[in-house]
Amino acid sequence: MRPDAYAITIILLAATVESGTILLFPIIGEIFTERSGILNLGIEGMMIIGALVGFATAFMTGQIYWAFFMGMLAGGLASLIHAFISITLRGNQVVSGLALSIFGLGVTNFYGQEFVNLQLAHTIPQVIIPGLSQIPFFGPILFKQDYMVYLSYILVIITWFILFKTKAGIQLRAVGQNAQAADAMGVNVYKVRYFWTFFGGLMAGAGGAYLTLNCAPFWLDGITAGRGWVAIALVIFARWNPPYALIGAYLFGAINALQFQLQSMGTTIPSALLSMQPYFLTFILIIVATLLVKAKHIGVPKELGIPYAREEK
Amino acid sequence: MLKFEKRENIPLHLRILIPLISILLGVLIGGIAVMFSQVNPLTVYKAIFIGAFGSTYVFSETIVVAIPLLLISVGLILVFKMNYWNIGAYGQYIMGAIFCTYFALNSAETMSRPILLMMMCIAGMVGGALWALIPAALKAYWKVNEVITTLLLNYIALYILKFLMYGPWRNPRSFGFPLTKIFDLNAQLPKLISHTRIHLGLIFGIIAAIIIWIIIKKTKFGYEIRVIGENEIAARYAGINIAKNIILAMIISGGLAGLAGMAQISGIIHMLQIEINPDYGYTAIIVAWLSGLNALTAMIVSFFLGGLFAGASQIQITMKVPIGIVGLIESSILFFLLGGAILTNYKLYYKGRKII
Repeated sequence: MRPDAYAITIILLAATVESGTILLFPIIGEIFTERSGILNLGIEGMMIIGALVGFATAFMTGQIYWAFFMGMLAGGLASLIHAFISITLRGNQVVSGLALSIFGLGVTNFYGQEFVNLQLAHTIPQVIIPGLSQIPFFGPILFKQDYMVYLSYILVIITWFILFKTKAGIQLRAVGQNAQAADAMGVNVYKVRYFWTFFGGLMAGAGGAYLTLNCAPFWLDGITAGRGWVAIALVIFARWNPPYALIGAYLFGAINALQFQLQSMGTTIPSALLSMQPYFLTFILIIVATLLVKAKHIGVPKELGIPYAREEK
Repeated sequence: MLKFEKRENIPLHLRILIPLISILLGVLIGGIAVMFSQVNPLTVYKAIFIGAFGSTYVFSETIVVAIPLLLISVGLILVFKMNYWNIGAYGQYIMGAIFCTYFALNSAETMSRPILLMMMCIAGMVGGALWALIPAALKAYWKVNEVITTLLLNYIALYILKFLMYGPWRNPRSFGFPLTKIFDLNAQLPKLISHTRIHLGLIFGIIAAIIIWIIIKKTKFGYEIRVIGENEIAARYAGINIAKNIILAMIISGGLAGLAGMAQISGIIHMLQIEINPDYGYTAIIVAWLSGLNALTAMIVSFFLGGLFAGASQIQITMKVPIGIVGLIESSILFFLLGGAILTNYKLYYKGRKII
């Protein structure tokens, strides 16, 4: 391998991780929301709310980590609308989620007007981890990133642990598989669902904030560009399991980084066709994932999308 | 404490009151949002109202927006009735526009106007129907989630449109702008009323609404759709072919969205470009839901949301109020409507006393 090709590969893969991290947060969040039996199609809306709140906070205060936190919180608050409608009021979850996405796009268009085309002076700073970043090849890809990326690594491990090794995880899975039985066991179905829907919102907000605080540090209308929908598709690809979310997110990140690289190198392939690739890839992935899930009998959470009504026992 | 008890029948007054109250509350939320940006909400709403219904011309513009909303929403109703989802009207609309443009660009000189317009209508419907067939077949045979596939296909359709407009279909005389040439008169849908932009698409929309209403209420296909929507397992036991019904409903729905795209560029824009208002595909979802999945009611709701859109487009220019206000109001209405559904489905008791 020529040295410059090696260098480009490193840059590409590091960009893959960055671009994948935008999706990794919301995918993990939605895995937990869906595991509890709530389908939240509002990720696109919660992400873009997180993206705007994060951007605006960073722009006005200059506090980048504070901005990330605020973006995350905004996504969490937005998810409570969906939680209230689908858990307490037992409304239609598909339509409520879509409404949340329309709400997010509308509200950010409305309040984002004054930020259009503004740029952040500073993005999330790179933090090189001593030692680990010296590992040949993987070091510069995985450990010359920022705190948010490192947070996402830890999150994958912690969420996997919570899901499969803790009481909270057992309760969560029980609620998603059979809410009535879980209730009989003394699990508060409503509380579990509220909590994990809120967590899903926090994570979607985090993904959105990471987008505008690092990858695209400016504000444009509709800046999330469908990543929320991609995240929902990749939840199925991940089979509701956090470590697999990593693969899906980075695959999307890779194709995104690659098409960007090709465009900046001035390829003759029309840019519209390149920009289409991440969506096309996701489209193929969702088909493949569905067939795999069916073949291996790894089912969706059985109560996904079904409201729970306690007094109808 | 609050207690819920399932209702058997939904009283008529609730069926009418809840959507109306939802609209009022949604508008109220929109007003509060406007207040935060230091504009008087009453001024804004007055301007939206005048911009939507205040003169003959703006009234006609409201109808112009209502046309695609109606065409798309009645098709969506067919799919939603089955408890399946078509969120892909956006892409199907684009595909309809692309397919019919092929004839507008290539056959305008060789075909007479009625034949050409008919070909464009068919092409538009075929384009939309094919784009809907992909997720429908994937759902029917492989159970691939149709919410996600239809959504992803929207983005793919948008990039196909961009590819065409920046590549093979760009008019060499458009000074680099991504536009086709203006369609010949032959390829333009005739106007229904002079001095307005209301075009033949209005008739298409009304006919489509009536046909869909008849399909749902009076045909075997419609009956099967309703059974599937109410209880899919029961439908399967009753021997209803679910795959066939999914595909048929999606093709009709996609075809109507494609026709809406065709009507918009042939009747209003008169050329293909990147901005052809495919967002109507999302607004139509709200129309379908707000009309209680009734194709005839969808005519009224399309008109109402058409007015909201037309009025908001006006104040975007005159008062610099961002167009996002439309999405904000629409989604708020939906939230209240979805939440309010609990009152149509359940009787509500407080400390043993019936409230509603």
